[in-house]
Amino acid sequence: MATHRKDEPFGPFGPFVTFGSFVSFWAFVVLTFASALLVAQQPETPSILISRQLAELEQIAVGDEVRLATNEQGTDARAFRVAGIYEPTPDPMRLGAVPREVRLHLTDLLALERDASTPAGTEHVESINVALRNPGEAQAFAADVNARIPGVFARGTTGAAGSGSTFVVLERFHLAIAAVTIVASTVFLLALTIMLVDERRATVGVLRLIGLPARRILLQVLLEGLLIAGAGALFGLLLALASEGLINRFFQWRYDTALIFVKVTPEVAATCLAIAVPLGAAATVAASWALLQRSGLRLARR
Amino acid sequence: MMPLDLARGGAPLAFAWRSLVRQPARATLGILGVAAVGALLLDMLLLSQGLVTSMQDLLDSSGFDIRVAATDPIPGKPDIEDGAAAAAQIAALPSVSAAIAVRTEDADIQLADGRPTRATFAGVSGGRSRPWTILRGADIRGEHEIVINDHAAQAIGVAPGASVTIKAYCFGGAEAAPAIPFRLAGIAEFPFDAPNQSGAGTTIASLADACGTPDARTADLVLVTSSGDPDAAATAIAALRPDLRAFTNTEAVGQMQQRGFTYFRQISTVLTTITVSFALLLITVLLTVSVNQRLGEVAALRALGFSQGRVVLDVLFESALIVGIGGLLSLPLGAALAVWLDGILKRMPNLPAALHFFVFDPQALWIHGGLLAATAIIAALYPMSIVARLPIAATLRDEVMG
Repeated sequence: MATHRKDEPFGPFGPFVTFGSFVSFWAFVVLTFASALLVAQQPETPSILISRQLAELEQIAVGDEVRLATNEQGTDARAFRVAGIYEPTPDPMRLGAVPREVRLHLTDLLALERDASTPAGTEHVESINVALRNPGEAQAFAADVNARIPGVFARGTTGAAGSGSTFVVLERFHLAIAAVTIVASTVFLLALTIMLVDERRATVGVLRLIGLPARRILLQVLLEGLLIAGAGALFGLLLALASEGLINRFFQWRYDTALIFVKVTPEVAATCLAIAVPLGAAATVAASWALLQRSGLRLARR
Repeated sequence: MMPLDLARGGAPLAFAWRSLVRQPARATLGILGVAAVGALLLDMLLLSQGLVTSMQDLLDSSGFDIRVAATDPIPGKPDIEDGAAAAAQIAALPSVSAAIAVRTEDADIQLADGRPTRATFAGVSGGRSRPWTILRGADIRGEHEIVINDHAAQAIGVAPGASVTIKAYCFGGAEAAPAIPFRLAGIAEFPFDAPNQSGAGTTIASLADACGTPDARTADLVLVTSSGDPDAAATAIAALRPDLRAFTNTEAVGQMQQRGFTYFRQISTVLTTITVSFALLLITVLLTVSVNQRLGEVAALRALGFSQGRVVLDVLFESALIVGIGGLLSLPLGAALAVWLDGILKRMPNLPAALHFFVFDPQALWIHGGLLAATAIIAALYPMSIVARLPIAATLRDEVMG
């Protein structure tokens, strides 16, 4: 559920409105925390979680006590105990931004940022995530909430993504680029096979002269094309599998994230094979077709 | 007769051309392949900076060259508590010509008992500058007047002069804000509107009324027009209000480059590298196979008196012709492809309609030409070395005996 749209990439006046959400409260708290002190553990000290990146940057360990404040001066700082260090959920939309985050219990956060004039329990929260027993009722539940609670806007998370979500659009973009690459590859492949077939023109001529029918030679060419295309596609897949780990490790190091950038799934591999092998074989046959229409004598002539 | 003509200066290009047209199918396919790869290369170069260039243009065209926001916004609290006062203070600076405070919320706009449309509802205060452009009707002049965008007008079927009801959903507003009547003054264009997004604008005071908190004067940001030097104005604003942070458009775009949109730069770099490598490999193979098929012919030319440098130059020119013609064809092809890919990417949610991912940049064109030229030269190196090291007598003997 959300009551406003300040988390959208662009407000009506450009990206600046969203900087507040980029520089999240968690990051703000972290940037202004006063110090990390090793003190005796007190049972009443509230606990927090620290992101791995922040822990590494500030040399914070589990069990440390830190002080968090909502202003740079640290006037309202409160002590918290680091209960654990967590790996932030990878977010492709924030690639390149090192997640220096702290997670607090909501009550601790509200107590930290509440000013004296705000009675406890009347604070504002940005959103409430609801897990339904039956996820299929999400839309009906959202409609019910919207009707019953004025000032609150509820929506199902599945419906919020839809066919126009960022990642669906990116997937279409990748498919479009893949299509262009396949077209370029096919054109080059045809040029190469035409040259290779032309190189074997005399051999084909002799085969025709000794009595092999054009269909028999075409079958041979087709099998040869299938073998070459299959071997090429397998080599490509092995190359992709071998580079998968390297690419992931490089970009995970580069952006300090656990995000997986390349994943060769069985579906992806099957799609590649399903496109590459028939395409390669078809290119070979297409290139040989014109050659086989000529007479054996003409082909064998030097 | 022909070899003697070809031996003259300038002939290598003509000779390479004849080599190509002698094998039209392979030459055409080679050129088309380069055109397709070149088009993709051009698009990746345009993509690498397109979004940033487009955003810079969009920000510059809005008429405001500085954006002022709270240094450290906290959830549950407004970004700028005294938006209108802050805008007035900033507007009084000598280096500033105009400043307006802006607050944005969500609202349902409804005509009588018709179906409402959910819109981004902006309130502005201070000066006569507006972050929108009037298309039809008039601008807001008093309280409880609004302008809406075309999408909202079509969604609820309304024209300037009509009365609409606004029900706002505000950050920190009243639990159940009242539905308030507004007079529609005009239809406006909001530069950062997404294509299917309803938008509306009014005064910041009217927005506060709609939120049910008439005394609130909070703002999300202050938009500033400098009197000529945005950097000096930003420095003056920072000195005047240390609790606020002023960004020039260039700084805002710089932050975007660091924090967001890295994905497109990365994919552009990766695909540019792959595309160039792919083109290099395939042109090398094309030329190598082509040269291997013509070894006897090359040896005969050498025997007729063609120098080593001359036959090597022929191969280089053949490569240059394939890549050159393919590269030229790739420009219109790349432009058409860019329009298609831009259309796909612009379906991302909440992107301003005026924002583009592929933006023409003369520098990209130069890099495109440079990369293709380098590809033509590097791809020709291996076949050139075959021709240069060709043993004339042995090749001719093999040709005759074979």
